Amino acid sequence: MAKDPLSEAGFYFDELNKLRVLEPDVSQKTSELKEECKEFVDKIGQFQKIVGGLIELVDELAKEAETEKIKAIGARNLLKSVAKQREAQQQQLQALIAEKKMQLERYRIEYEALSKVESEQNEFIDQFILQK
Amino acid sequence: MLVVKERLFHPLLLSPKPRLIYRGSRANIHDETENMALKGTKTYPCCFKDRSHEELVSCVGWTTADELYSCSEDHQILKWNLLSSETSLVVKLPEEIYPIDLHWFPKTVGVKKQTQAEVFVLTSSDGKFHLVSKIGRIEKSVEAHNGAVLAGRWNYDGTALITAGEDGQIKIWSKSGMLRSTLTSQGSPVYSVAWGPDSDRILYTSGKQLVIKPLQPSAKVLQWKAHDGIILKVDWNSVNDFILSGAEDCKYKVWDSFGRLLYSSSSHDYPVTSVSWAPDGEVFAMGSFNTLRLCDKTGWSYALEKPNTGSVFTISWSADGTQLAGACGNGHVIFAHVVEQHWEWKNFVVTLTKRRTMQVRNVTNDAVDILEFRDRVIKASLAYGHLVVATSLQCYVYNSRNWNTPLIFELKEGTVSLIQQAEKHFLLVDGAGLYMFSYEGQLISSPKFPGMRADILNAQGVSLSNDTIAIRDKRDEKVILLFDALTGKALSDGKPLTHKLEVVEIALDQCGPSTERKIALIDKNRDLYLTSVRHLGREPKICKIGSMVHSMAWNDTANILCGIQDSQFTVWYYPSAVFTDKELLPKTLYIKDGSEFSRAPHILSYVGTMVTLRQGDGSLVYSSVPPYSTVLHEYSTSARWEDALRLCRFAKDQSLWACLAAMSLANRELTTAEMAYAAIGELPRVQYIKRIKEQPSKESSLAHMLLFSGQVKEAEATLLQAGLIYRAIQVNIDLFNWERALELAVKHKTHVDTVLAYREKFLKKFGRKETNKRFLQYAEGVEVDWEKIQAKIEMELSKEREKAANASVRSSVAARR
Repeated sequence: MAKDPLSEAGFYFDELNKLRVLEPDVSQKTSELKEECKEFVDKIGQFQKIVGGLIELVDELAKEAETEKIKAIGARNLLKSVAKQREAQQQQLQALIAEKKMQLERYRIEYEALSKVESEQNEFIDQFILQK
Repeated sequence: MLVVKERLFHPLLLSPKPRLIYRGSRANIHDETENMALKGTKTYPCCFKDRSHEELVSCVGWTTADELYSCSEDHQILKWNLLSSETSLVVKLPEEIYPIDLHWFPKTVGVKKQTQAEVFVLTSSDGKFHLVSKIGRIEKSVEAHNGAVLAGRWNYDGTALITAGEDGQIKIWSKSGMLRSTLTSQGSPVYSVAWGPDSDRILYTSGKQLVIKPLQPSAKVLQWKAHDGIILKVDWNSVNDFILSGAEDCKYKVWDSFGRLLYSSSSHDYPVTSVSWAPDGEVFAMGSFNTLRLCDKTGWSYALEKPNTGSVFTISWSADGTQLAGACGNGHVIFAHVVEQHWEWKNFVVTLTKRRTMQVRNVTNDAVDILEFRDRVIKASLAYGHLVVATSLQCYVYNSRNWNTPLIFELKEGTVSLIQQAEKHFLLVDGAGLYMFSYEGQLISSPKFPGMRADILNAQGVSLSNDTIAIRDKRDEKVILLFDALTGKALSDGKPLTHKLEVVEIALDQCGPSTERKIALIDKNRDLYLTSVRHLGREPKICKIGSMVHSMAWNDTANILCGIQDSQFTVWYYPSAVFTDKELLPKTLYIKDGSEFSRAPHILSYVGTMVTLRQGDGSLVYSSVPPYSTVLHEYSTSARWEDALRLCRFAKDQSLWACLAAMSLANRELTTAEMAYAAIGELPRVQYIKRIKEQPSKESSLAHMLLFSGQVKEAEATLLQAGLIYRAIQVNIDLFNWERALELAVKHKTHVDTVLAYREKFLKKFGRKETNKRFLQYAEGVEVDWEKIQAKIEMELSKEREKAANASVRSSVAARR
C-alpha cells in the first residue's frame, strides 16, 4: 500500500473510520494501561481496607490481652494474699483449737477424778456389804 | 456493723464451760447477718444503726450498766445505749484533740451518794487532759505533759486524779484539775497507771518493769522486771489485790501486790494491748489483735474469741461485772456478755444460758427447768437447797423442791457483789451494805460497822453461819468482826476477835449450837487457827491446828474441816479436839496425798462427803471423804454413845477412835472416852480418866477434866470456887508449881506444912538445897510431920466425899419433889 499521506501527516483512521492523531496500536495500549491502572488502584484500595481491619483487630486483641494480663496479675496477687489470709485464719483456728484442747484436758481430768471417786465409793459399798 | 457473734465468757464456779456472747458495733445490717452465719448458734438482736466511728477507737467507759461512751480518733465521742440499741453523737471534739484515754469519775463515795454531775477525764495526744461533762461539754482543759497524756485515772473515792505522759512523768491532780504534785519522772513513757486498792499507792509501767509507788514520799518503792517486752497495760483490782499486766512480749501476767508472779500466760501471736479486771475480781478480760479472752483470777482462760476487730486497745467492764466493752482498732466497739456460768449443788446443775435465762438440771432424773428473769442476772448462789439469784432490780429465791414459784423481792441498790448462804438464811452484799435475808424473803438484819466498805468484801473475807456473821476488817486485817446474824449486832460487846497476824481467809463452822460456834482462820503465814466465836468473859484461846494451809472449807452437815495443807489434802474430822486434847488432834486427821491434784488446788466446796477442788490449770477435781465421821458427829450431838462405839468398832479406823475420844471427853462421857483412848493405845490417858472417875466429888472430877485438856488455871478456879482448897493446892504441887501452891496455902491458912513437906521431898529426890526465900521463911515456923499430913489429907478427902454424897442426896430429893 502506498504511503498514506494522512499517515505522514500523522492522521489515522480507526476501525470506525474516525480520524485520529494517535496510532491505533498506541491508543489501544494506552487504554489497556489505563484499565490496568484502574484495576491496580482498586486492588490497592481493597488491600488497605483489609489491612486497616486487621490492624484494628490486632489492636483490640492487644487491649484485651493487656486487661487479661492485669487480671492475671491481680488474681495472682489475690492468690498470694489468700494464702496469707488462710494462714491468719489457720492461726486463729489453731488458737481456738488450742483453747478447746485445754478445755478438753480439763474435762478429762475432771472425768478421771470423778471415775476415781466412783470406784472409791463402789469399793466402800462392797466393803460395807461384806462386813455386814 | 453489727458483729453479732456468739460465744460466751464464763466466770467463776464449777465446771468451766465458758462462752461469751458478744456483739460489735457499726451500722450495717448485711454484715450482721453475715456474721451471724459465721458463728451459727444464737444471736443477739442488737443493731447500732445510727452512727459509728470512722477511725480507730481509743477508749471506752460505762456510765450505767446499759450506756457506754466511746472516743475515737475521728474526734467523735459517741454514746451507745444498749437497751434501745441506739448510738448518738455526744460531741465532736476540736480537730487538734486526739483522745487517748477516758475514765469516769467514780460514782459513789463511801455510802453517801455522789451529788456532783457526772464528768469524765479525757486525755489527749496534745499533752492536755480535759474534764468533760456527760453532755459532752469540755469543762476544763489542763496542760499536763509534754507529748501525749497516755493515761488518766481517778482514785476510788474521786479525790485525786493521776495522769501519765509520754514524757515519763506521773502527776497528781485535785478533783478540779489543780496540780498537786509530780510523783515521779523517768526517761521512758509511762504507758499505763493504776491505783492501789486503798488509793494510797499507784502502779505504773516503766519499760519492761512494773513499779509500785506509795504516795507518801518516804515509803519504799517496789520495782521489778515483769516482762520481756514493753508493758502496755496494767490493772489492779481492789477486791482481790491482784495486779494484771500485758506487754509487747505477747504475754499477760498476774501478780500479787508484793510483786510475786502468780501466773504467766503462754506467748500469744500479737502483743497484749489491754487487760482489765472485772469489778468483783473473779475474772479478767484480755485483748490483743483480733483476740478477746476471758480468764479466771488465777490466770487460766475460760474463753477465747477471735472477733474481727483489729487490736482491742481498751477493755472496760460495766459496774455489775456482767458485760464488757472493747475499743477496737478498726473503729468498732465490741460488747461482750458473760454467760454460761455454772453452779452445782448435790444433784442440781444450774447454768446461766442467756443473760436472763437459767437452766436447772436435775441430774438424777434429767428433769430440766427453765428459769426466766425480767432483768439481767448479776449474781447467783446455790447451796443448802436454795438458789438465790440477784438481777439488776430484784432478788429471786428458789427452793430446790419447787422451781416454778420463786420468791421475789425488790432490791434497793442495783449491783449485788456477793451472795453467801447458810442453812437458814443468806447474806447479800451490795455497794451500800450487808443484808441478811431469810429464805422467805424477810430482811432479818443489816450489820453495820465503822469504816465499812461493802464494795470490796469478797468470799474469803466474809463468812456466814446460821447464827453468826464474821467479816475480816479491811482497815486492820488482824481483826475479825463478829455479828449476830439475827440481830445484826456485834457479838461479845462489840469487841472483835484479834489475831496476832494478818488474816487471809476466814470460815465459820455450820452446825451445832450457836454457843459452840467456831471460826477457822488462815493467817499471812498460812497457819490455820481455830477459835470459838461466842465466849463469856475470858478471851478465847486461838489454837493452831495446821500450817502451810492454802485453802479450807467446812462441811455443810457436820463440823468437819478440810484443807490443803502443804501438798496434802487434809480433813480435820474433829477440829475442836484441839480444845480438849491437843495431842489427840494429829490422830483425828484424814490425810490424802495431794500429788493427784496438780498445781495449787483450791477448795470450792465440801458438801456431804464430796470435796470439790479447782486446780491451778482450771480443771475441777473431786475427792471423797469416808462418810463415817459425819455419822459419828451425828451420834455425838445426839449423845448416842453406844451407837458411836459400835460405829468405831465397825469401821476399825484409828482416826475415828481418836475423834470419838475427843468428842466423848468434850461431852464428859468418861466411859466412852476410856474405851476410845484404849482403842488407840493411849494408856496414860486411860489411866487418868480412871482417876477422874474415882474422884470423890463432881467438882474435882470436873477440875481434873479441865486439867486433862491442859486448862490449869480454869481447873484451879473451879476447885477454889467449890471450896476445895486442899485439892487446888495439890494440883499445883503435882504440877511442881510450888510458888502458887504455897501462895494458896498461905492465903487460905491451911496445908502450909503439906506444901513444905512435898517441896522437901522433891528437893531431896533431886539432891538440891532450898533457895527460894519464901519457902525458907515459912520452913522456919512450920514443923513437917508426914503422919500428921497424911491424916489431914485423908480427912479432907473424906470431907469432900461426904459433901458430895449430901449434895447428891439433896439433888435427888429436889428432883423427887
